Amino acid sequence: MEDHYRKVLDAVDVETFFVCQDENEGKALALKLLESFGLKDADIVFIQHQGPGARVRARGYIFRPGDHYGWLEGGERNG
Amino acid sequence: MDKSRPVLLAPLDPVHDIGLKIMKRALDEAGYKTILLPPDYQPEEIIKTALDNDVSAVLVSRTLGYGVAELLSGFVDLAEAAGLRDKVKLAIGGMSIKPELAQELGYDAGFGPGTTPEEVIAFLEDREYVPELGGANKQKADLTEGFSYVYHHRRIEELLDKIVDSIIKWSQGKTSPAVKRAQLKEEMLSLPEGKDGTDLAKQYLQWCDPRIRKAYEQNELPPKTRRLTGEEVERLEDYVQETRRRMSVQVLQHSRKKPVVFIQYGTGCPFMDVAHIKVGEAWGADGVVHFDPSWGARTEGFLEGYVTHEEDGSIITFENLKRIKASLRRHTLWQVRAHRGLNTPETVLLAGKAGADLTKINIAYGSLGGGTDPARLTVDAVKAIQYAVKFKLPFDVVTNEELCGVPAHKAFAGMLITAHLGRRLGGRPILQPLFCYSPEVMISGQMDDNYIDFNAAKVFALRRIIDAPIWPGAPIGFLTHTEDRVQSSVTTALHAALASSLEVEAVSIASSDEAYSGGPISAQARTDTLRAVQEAFRFFGRAGIKPTGRAEEWAEKITEGILEVLESVADKGDFVQALYDGLLGSVAEGAYPGRGGRGTVIHD
Repeated sequence: MEDHYRKVLDAVDVETFFVCQDENEGKALALKLLESFGLKDADIVFIQHQGPGARVRARGYIFRPGDHYGWLEGGERNG
Repeated sequence: MDKSRPVLLAPLDPVHDIGLKIMKRALDEAGYKTILLPPDYQPEEIIKTALDNDVSAVLVSRTLGYGVAELLSGFVDLAEAAGLRDKVKLAIGGMSIKPELAQELGYDAGFGPGTTPEEVIAFLEDREYVPELGGANKQKADLTEGFSYVYHHRRIEELLDKIVDSIIKWSQGKTSPAVKRAQLKEEMLSLPEGKDGTDLAKQYLQWCDPRIRKAYEQNELPPKTRRLTGEEVERLEDYVQETRRRMSVQVLQHSRKKPVVFIQYGTGCPFMDVAHIKVGEAWGADGVVHFDPSWGARTEGFLEGYVTHEEDGSIITFENLKRIKASLRRHTLWQVRAHRGLNTPETVLLAGKAGADLTKINIAYGSLGGGTDPARLTVDAVKAIQYAVKFKLPFDVVTNEELCGVPAHKAFAGMLITAHLGRRLGGRPILQPLFCYSPEVMISGQMDDNYIDFNAAKVFALRRIIDAPIWPGAPIGFLTHTEDRVQSSVTTALHAALASSLEVEAVSIASSDEAYSGGPISAQARTDTLRAVQEAFRFFGRAGIKPTGRAEEWAEKITEGILEVLESVADKGDFVQALYDGLLGSVAEGAYPGRGGRGTVIHD
């Protein structure tokens, strides 16, 4: 696991605004974006589609409770 | 649907029935007979109730969880076995319910979170549910409606009369390059189609800065600017049309209709501005304010065409303004600022011709905090106000010199002078005190305890003086924001709540990027504060924020201070000289009479 991910306490949130047709498209774009960052344990925390697009908060978990945490030596990343 | 048969609402849940209670109220209001069962009924009891009462529909609610899918499908099986299924419409609602799941489980419909009563009624009535685009009934607000501009403070009115008399007398027989250009541009814009305007354009250029002339004559634009291509213009048109088709808008206000909420745009690119404006409109902004670049204010003359540049503030050209206007929803208020700089009359002219609703003019701020020579701006402002009157544009009189360090009472004296001049010339000014953590209060401590009292005192003071619209700005909470988006959104929302509590006409708000200076603000930062303001309005409703007794004390002091300043300006008998001499804000207070356009006043 890359050092910068090992140092994340639990999750990475990505906040953005997608120009898109509807909420589903916004969700798909957000998940694709997380995937491109190498974040596999991903979810949409919040999405609001209105008019031109969607305000999104997408999350990739690096460590969930009970995992071996990277910020404790020897941990491995979730997902 | 036959409304004589009741609708049964049954929580197939041990505790939760809030959703069904909300639906019951809506169905009752729509004329339906309803039966609402309490939680924790067994499926058999629900079916028996349905049969005994010959209901037309059964609306079941349940929050999804382990084993619930089996429970719900079992309910359908039981309804079939009891001979109920064919006699009724059957629907399920609750968290995580989706239409596909409902169909899979054997229900006629499924309603998830956010379902509106209208959606359920459409189902009961066999109608296709067509969601109403939000904000369809939003109306464009008139911020000056209902105000008499009657003075409650007679002495202040007398002094303002005297000062404005002197301004009008002083400005007679004076003109400026900006006034000349505005007059020529007005002629150019009035030319019939096909009529050659070359001579007028040549005359216009005579009054322009060399770099503007270069742009016209050699097509060499100022640094970091470029023309947008025809293809880009077409694509923007497509984008706006596409967005318009799916546009719905939030309404920010809750119980009170006021204040209307403005956002400010000026990304540098008129096309990015349009994209931001559409986001702002969708998230509930009632109005938008055009910010032009600071170098534009220091340059004599305007460029033409679709021009973008890479720094803050969007260049004013007639084409840029028209394109922005064409993208606005019908209800959106649009303000183009003309409060400082060397192009104020032409700005108001172009704004008026492009269909703006409002402009912004203030001689005192523009010349003490905005970098424009007091004499020059006074000449230009008189003409700018005349254009505002001609195009029926109310204008706010902003008091941003407070941010330089000028005390509120001095800034307010300057504001009242410009506003009174506006009234004398037939205009509809709007007073714009700052809701800010100003240098004055940082030094003197009026906000050591809270941000409420001194801001409220400003509004109280102005209301003691005159019955005029008040639009705190700009943006509210100035100098209270940090780069943290949560803090920034909260401070904006609380200042908006204070404005609502004080029942002012409007507020201008920042994005949650207000304190960030590393680059342009983002679309998501715009939605942050709009959403926060909406929540604050929802939270406070008609309830208010109660200032302490200090607010009235400070209002009294501000009023006394204004009176004192106006006495000194009136005694001087020369408003322009009073600006140079620091009566409305001194060098020691951070107010520097601007040098832009110094020596350019022309005596006709």
